[in-house]
Amino acid sequence: MLVAWRYRKRENSFIQSFDPRAWVIFFLCFLFSTLTFWDVRFLLFFFFIAVFSLVTSGVKWHEVRRAFLFIIGLVFFFGILTFLTGRGGSEVYEQEHLIREYRASFSILGWTPVLKVTVERAFYAVSQFVRVSSMAVMTVLIPYSLNPALYGITFKGLGLPDKFAYAMDLTMRFIPTFGRDFQLTMDAQRARGYELEKISGGIVQQVRKLGPIVVPVTIHAIISSEDIIDAMDLRAFGVGPRTWLDVLTYTTRDRVLIAVGVLILSASIMLGLMGFGKFWVPQVLVQMFS
Amino acid sequence: MTSTPLPLVVENLSFRYRDRPGAAIHNLSFTATPGEVLLIAGASGCGKTTLIRCINGLIPRSYKGDMSGQVLVFGEEVKDWKLSQISQKIGTVLQDPERQILGTKVVNEVAFGLENLGMPRAEIYSRVDEALNFLKIPHLRNRETFHLSGGEKQKVALAGILAMRPSIILLDEPLASLDPASAQDTLDAVRLLANQGLSILMVEHRVEDVLRIKPERVMFMSEGEIRYLGDVSGLSKVVNYREVKLPAEDIVERAKRDPAPAEIHALPGVNSLQLKQDALVRFEDVAFGYESKVEILHGINLQINRGDVIAVLGPNGAGKTTFVKHAIGLLKPKSGRVFVGGRDTNEASVAEIAGMLGYVFQSPSHMLFAPTVREELAFGPTNMKHTKDQIELEVKEALRIVNLSEKENDPPLALSFGQQKRVSIAAILAMRSRILVMDEPTAGQDYQNYMNFMDSILQMPGFEAIMFITHDVDLAAIYANRVLIISDGRLIADGKPQDVLRDFDRLRANRIIPTSLLALNLKRLSATGRFMRAEALAHV
Repeated sequence: MLVAWRYRKRENSFIQSFDPRAWVIFFLCFLFSTLTFWDVRFLLFFFFIAVFSLVTSGVKWHEVRRAFLFIIGLVFFFGILTFLTGRGGSEVYEQEHLIREYRASFSILGWTPVLKVTVERAFYAVSQFVRVSSMAVMTVLIPYSLNPALYGITFKGLGLPDKFAYAMDLTMRFIPTFGRDFQLTMDAQRARGYELEKISGGIVQQVRKLGPIVVPVTIHAIISSEDIIDAMDLRAFGVGPRTWLDVLTYTTRDRVLIAVGVLILSASIMLGLMGFGKFWVPQVLVQMFS
Repeated sequence: MTSTPLPLVVENLSFRYRDRPGAAIHNLSFTATPGEVLLIAGASGCGKTTLIRCINGLIPRSYKGDMSGQVLVFGEEVKDWKLSQISQKIGTVLQDPERQILGTKVVNEVAFGLENLGMPRAEIYSRVDEALNFLKIPHLRNRETFHLSGGEKQKVALAGILAMRPSIILLDEPLASLDPASAQDTLDAVRLLANQGLSILMVEHRVEDVLRIKPERVMFMSEGEIRYLGDVSGLSKVVNYREVKLPAEDIVERAKRDPAPAEIHALPGVNSLQLKQDALVRFEDVAFGYESKVEILHGINLQINRGDVIAVLGPNGAGKTTFVKHAIGLLKPKSGRVFVGGRDTNEASVAEIAGMLGYVFQSPSHMLFAPTVREELAFGPTNMKHTKDQIELEVKEALRIVNLSEKENDPPLALSFGQQKRVSIAAILAMRSRILVMDEPTAGQDYQNYMNFMDSILQMPGFEAIMFITHDVDLAAIYANRVLIISDGRLIADGKPQDVLRDFDRLRANRIIPTSLLALNLKRLSATGRFMRAEALAHV
């Protein structure tokens, strides 16, 4: 059976006060707009929208703690990795202004590790953090705020055909189901003395040793899909245009939200075309370390 | 005068799956009349599910192969019908409601088929309410399907079919995952539907349970053919009472003519001197909850001792699986402590505990991965660092016990569900842990197979204690020397079967329904001194 995300109706939730279609449209506009910028001054605007949405969502910290700690950990990890290696930012800046250089006191096969802290690298890390966190916050809020019973009609309302809309509905619910099956398989194999954390050997060997987890999870996913297809076939799915039991109606505030989303996206694209929003570092710092 | 054609006529129906040798069903012919419950019984792999798929149209549409003969619904052959047409005449409830339910809310789930037919909303709502009212579950209308109990899920699945107003309902082992009271509720609903004029075809291993609603006819299948088709009274005369679970009185009557069954000596490796030694597992005031504020287990205190064969009974969702997962350390108590072999589970890894306590999960599909059954069985012992020779022996012995020696080189994932379940049990048996814990070992198994492997498992010399979760009261009565009832996360009862299972009011309050075998055993307890299987009672 497909597991639902941890949605519930929340009192005074800003997100939930809108039609889900309106919020999805706004979310998509937000996402693409954020992607057009590297300038942290612009990105802060999106970060502010994300934080506002989070604070007014009615979602309690203990509900999303694990998800956020995971995402923040991931963003930090990649941010620091980029910062340390200097890779990843080279597409958005060409020159670097050195703040300080750290040289390791040891060499590996004649190579001495060097960490160059530059103005560009530092600001790239900050911009990346703001950019990715803004998108992550808005994405994490969706499963907690949108009613799973309305996924199908939401996608249908966004213009997808019946079959695609229902497929999207099932896909959205398949993700947490997959998580549950993964946990069950992990437990079943641990009860047979399997210890994922003790896997050793070369890469090929390590991948092979993941078989006890990967095979059952994959097979289970396939069997479940077949069951779902049978259950759908047996109740005449896909034979013609279907009626969607739930009805969604736009109100004025939904239209306003969509308009704001479209406006932000249009403005972002315009600004991007006009050359604004590219990677930025404060001139003061550049001059200081020139 | 023209007579109305019968709802269902099956004529000379045969089918062979494209990728499997031999016919799954062969030359089946029968009819179903309005208002009748036709019970279809038979061992795993006898072709029951294939027959259901041929009738509901999944064969040949979703499952390809060679089909001959015909299925007529109200006089018309369904071969050329669209699935949407068939689904309006024939409704199918699958084995596990978990696998059938698609909607997140009950109302959406029940409406699903009607939405697909493009009906007007008002008509859909009216039919949904009608179906829910008929099954006496209107209070579930706006509930989330995920949070329903097993019995509620099965009724909601049935309501989803009923809303499409079929004339024939096919039920494929609808009781397999239900506690006895939920099974009883489902059966009552089925009887009600038949009384309204629907034709019901019910495939079920739990024959004795179904007999309570007095099916009009019974079909017994074996190796893809019909061995018996007639009224209930004739069934016990033609089928082997070791193959199909019949009411205890019938078995006693039949078994009198046969030699007395061999006595089962449970846990032969445990001698009476060891019984008073330290507990193997000890629960000390264990409480647990997945979320901080919701407690699922409350203050569990108990010991598992050498020589214990424990049956854990209780309703769906009572916390039985959560309880046993603490014994292997997969879950750690929120408060209190669990000791296995003297070690606190908080300080030992699951892999370390697995050497002491083997745990068979409910669903085999969550663990099977290896290319052959032999490799699957060797996985656990290899992880436990057993020697090659030892593993060889352990694998062979485990295969023998679950009666799968000839499948040693087959891929486990290509086996039937029943066989996969037995492989999953053998995989743990091969680890030779000192304690064996099984979560619903008999679910989805046919009677003869599960009785055989339960006999073998109990007589294995290596185990010092066995614990199994079950919904089958008879299994608890026959095999256990200690019964626990867990309800609402609490240990309600703990004692000898003859003490715990004699309180019928308490059983019913915990959704356990006394069986004919239990009643007969209690009646004869003064003569026998303990609970016995029906075949043995015949010779007392």
